[in-house]
Amino acid sequence: MRCLVIEDEQETARYICDGLNAAGYESMACDNALDGETLALSRVWDVVVLDRLLPGKQDGLDVLHAMRQSGVHIPVLVLSALGRIDERVHGLRAGADDYLTKPFALEELLARLDVLVRRQQPVPVARLQVADLILDLAAQRVTRSGRLITLQPREFQLLEYLMRHENQVVTRNMLLESVWDYHFDPQTNVIDVQISRLRNKIDRDFSVALIHTVRGAGYRLSVETLS
Amino acid sequence: MVARLVLGYGLLVGISIALISLVFYFGTIVVLQNQIDARIAKIANREWQTYDARPNADLVAEIGQQLTDNFNSDTEIYLLLSASGQILAGNLQRWPVFAGNRPVTARVIRDGQNVTARLVKRTLGDGRQLIVGWELSEVDQIRQLVGNALLLGGFLAALVVIVGAAVFRRQVENRIAEIRHAAQDIGAGDLSRRIRVAGQDEFGLLSLDINRMLDQIEHLMDGVRHVSNAIAHDLRTPLGRVRNRLDAALRTQGDQARGESLVVQTAAVAAIADIDHLILVFDRLLQIAEVESGVHTQTFQRVDLDRILHDMAELYDASAEALAMRIEVESVLPVLVRGDRNLLANAVASLLDNALKYASDGGLIRLRAFNQGEQVWLEIEDHGPGIPEEDLPKVTTRFYRVDRSRHLPGNGLGLSIVSAIVKMHGGTLILHNTPSGLLVRLVLPATSGAQPS
Repeated sequence: MRCLVIEDEQETARYICDGLNAAGYESMACDNALDGETLALSRVWDVVVLDRLLPGKQDGLDVLHAMRQSGVHIPVLVLSALGRIDERVHGLRAGADDYLTKPFALEELLARLDVLVRRQQPVPVARLQVADLILDLAAQRVTRSGRLITLQPREFQLLEYLMRHENQVVTRNMLLESVWDYHFDPQTNVIDVQISRLRNKIDRDFSVALIHTVRGAGYRLSVETLS
Repeated sequence: MVARLVLGYGLLVGISIALISLVFYFGTIVVLQNQIDARIAKIANREWQTYDARPNADLVAEIGQQLTDNFNSDTEIYLLLSASGQILAGNLQRWPVFAGNRPVTARVIRDGQNVTARLVKRTLGDGRQLIVGWELSEVDQIRQLVGNALLLGGFLAALVVIVGAAVFRRQVENRIAEIRHAAQDIGAGDLSRRIRVAGQDEFGLLSLDINRMLDQIEHLMDGVRHVSNAIAHDLRTPLGRVRNRLDAALRTQGDQARGESLVVQTAAVAAIADIDHLILVFDRLLQIAEVESGVHTQTFQRVDLDRILHDMAELYDASAEALAMRIEVESVLPVLVRGDRNLLANAVASLLDNALKYASDGGLIRLRAFNQGEQVWLEIEDHGPGIPEEDLPKVTTRFYRVDRSRHLPGNGLGLSIVSAIVKMHGGTLILHNTPSGLLVRLVLPATSGAQPS
């Protein structure tokens, strides 16, 4: 996976690139809008991380605009100190696939990039399966090892999201945004409690746990217990 | 105030007109009467001087001539009595008992007609008595004419006063209304609002003064906001950098020397957690500043509060369950307001956080949203201990925490955010203790169903 990082602050750029490289990406940093635009249009990238406040009073969104104008539709994650909700709406409307506010946790950035690069066209599947856990979308039924598990509607959606992103790290904010469709910072651990309740229903009575906590980042649903 | 002022001035004008009318009326009539008095006195004196010394002179003939010369004959009155009281000449049937040396007004019968007249009496040397008089019908006519004219004039003047007062009142009120509307907008948080200055009159000058004052206030507010935002923003950025540096160091170190210097690692992890907490507080401060600046209002859309209540109840149901509590949404119908759904959800979430945190023995938390006239009420009711009355007005202040809850986690910004969000939506936040717990009510302006989303 190749990631272009357009970020003028050296230290932040290096921090992101190191993190990306450690996570298995090939990354390259670029510190201005002009080169950023040329590079972004070269179509060799799988994903772009784009800062908004670039040297020379350039707005990263202009680069994004140029990309979309030229028919380059690779995922773009806008990373910005401009955190106001209207700025975020502005960025998403300009064609950004995600918007993350600085200061950020690297885990959050990596998790979001991971979801962006692995995102395929939503395949209309009738059922999702991870190991012995089966989620039947058509019948709205969940079974594990053949045993029926009763879930509330939102728990069902939560599990569906985790299963669709099998083996990927999903953060708390991503879950709130995708499953509940709200964007704000809950003050308490409400997502953790939701996951813990889901765990009780999915994992407690079985020898193999499927929902794993990824320290400092979020959760991952998978058969293997990677770190 | 304006109504009373206008009424007062209207009354003053009315009294002035009445006084002028009275002076004019009596002035005219009294002058006329004085003229008549002078005339009859002159005639009486002339007759008296002419005939006083000559008892047998032709006073009777003279009177007869005066009464038939067709010169004022229809208004002149004469009566001559002998010393023994017999009528010798004149046009009165009877002697008016009240006549004296000074002119008086009396009703007499002249040539069989009942008329009003001014009369004066003179006693001649030989005992004869002479009465000279002037009929007042002419004066009566003039009196009536003047009276009518004054009545009509007074009526027109009153009309002008009433209409003028109404127009004056309207104008003053319009000017004041303009200032009041602006003041209301400013009070509601729009500090950029200014009063339109129309003309150089007192109101124009007042508007100018107020505008100048507002410029200064806005300038100061901007300064304060700018400083606090700059602090939050400028501290947040280096904090973020420190955090990332620690994180990067931790990653590199973890890769190279796994298991070693565990103390440093633990310290770094704890430091990152603390920094994250600080960043969160700064984020919240910036969020409040952002919400208070009102920039979101451009992204407002039609939002169903009932939907938000159900969503938030669903989001928090696991947390409630873990505390053996229950969240119940009582409303079922859509309740529409214009707003930002994420911010409104944030407000509801903050209030649910509080209810779960502070009323954890309370069991049931009730949520409801409903239309109340021109308003929408969103209520969250818990069965906890409530808030001490003396703390109620202060709990929305940034960083304020009620004494007995200081041991609980939190930063004292939750209700500040709720309050800012409610204000931004043109509403008010009401907290009050009920017998069973705390009732938090968000009073928001309702949106009409016809408004486009």
